[in-house]
Amino acid sequence: MRIMKLSNKFLILVGIIISSVIAPVNSAEVKIHKNEVSGLLTWTSEDKGFQIELIQLLPDFIRAIYAKHNFPSDEVERAASYCMFGTILKNTSQQHLSYRVENWRYRTKDGIEHAVKTKTQWLNEWRKSGIIFSWTLLPDVGEFAVGDWQQGFTTIKLARNDEFDLIYKWSLDGVEHSGVLPNLKCAPESLAEPS
Amino acid sequence: MIKHIIKVVLFTTVFSPVYADWQQPELSHNLTPVVKVIPASDFELENMEEEIKKLSNYKGKVVLLNFWATWCPPCIREMPSMERLHQQVNAEGFNVIAVNQMEDADQVFAFTGQLEIDPTFEILFDKTSSVSNAYAVRGLPTTYLIDKKGNIRYRAVGGREFDHPEVIKIIKQLVDE
Repeated sequence: MRIMKLSNKFLILVGIIISSVIAPVNSAEVKIHKNEVSGLLTWTSEDKGFQIELIQLLPDFIRAIYAKHNFPSDEVERAASYCMFGTILKNTSQQHLSYRVENWRYRTKDGIEHAVKTKTQWLNEWRKSGIIFSWTLLPDVGEFAVGDWQQGFTTIKLARNDEFDLIYKWSLDGVEHSGVLPNLKCAPESLAEPS
Repeated sequence: MIKHIIKVVLFTTVFSPVYADWQQPELSHNLTPVVKVIPASDFELENMEEEIKKLSNYKGKVVLLNFWATWCPPCIREMPSMERLHQQVNAEGFNVIAVNQMEDADQVFAFTGQLEIDPTFEILFDKTSSVSNAYAVRGLPTTYLIDKKGNIRYRAVGGREFDHPEVIKIIKQLVDE
């Protein structure tokens, strides 16, 4: 009996430690902005020192970016086939902040969570096609000091106008946090198409 | 070739408003002291005049080493402040070096012609990103502040307002060391 009581106390202690290190998924306010001219949407949220902003990007914009960097046409189209978002991440705290894209997930409407494709995965594929260009995509890893921020494209393997939730994680001064941008929507094929 | 030109024109005319809608955060002025001071790797790169320049040529001066590209919005935003900084502190033993990533002199020349201030600091071309890789640059812009002995002392990830009084104060402290 005494051993069981000690065991329970140990489990409670472990629970307290875990709950103090891993914070629950946030319910931070998500601001949505619609561009009056283009109709493209931007989602912004900030919580526990981490600001995230995602903006819809049109497939033709992606085509123009990679064609400008002399990508083969099939690789241009492959990139444009993804649902891409301009992404800005910022450390708004006075502490060290980090993130790993490999820990991020997107949840489709069927409730299934999928891994977000990383920059490293893209670069490995581009190398096989002889492409040495290595920029524009959101870096896999961010180590942000005070005032640091980063931007790049986030790539989601979904079709035009598809909806999903982005589940993202970050670490602030060693404490893990996560958040959700709900009901994100992939950009339409073109501005003319109603979104 | 014509197809490529059309695409570039499309990019710069039709899609620029879309890109411009990408709301950019305020530029901060924080420079982060590096935890472990390490020597800045030397390199040799071409400048706009196709002359080879070495980082070690600047030993004895404080150097702001900035990694950038013309398609990178925060790089564009911080560049005028780099020029103002360069003009303010250059005579005191300080240089700005902007290392362009994977572009050429024609692209950069066309770009700088559109800036509110024409850069007078050194622009070098890292055509394979080998130098940015050596400096572990993950995203653009990333900037290092190197002291007179050639050691990396400060780092900034993301755009900055480089002519902010606090940045100038740090640079002058390094110049006076």
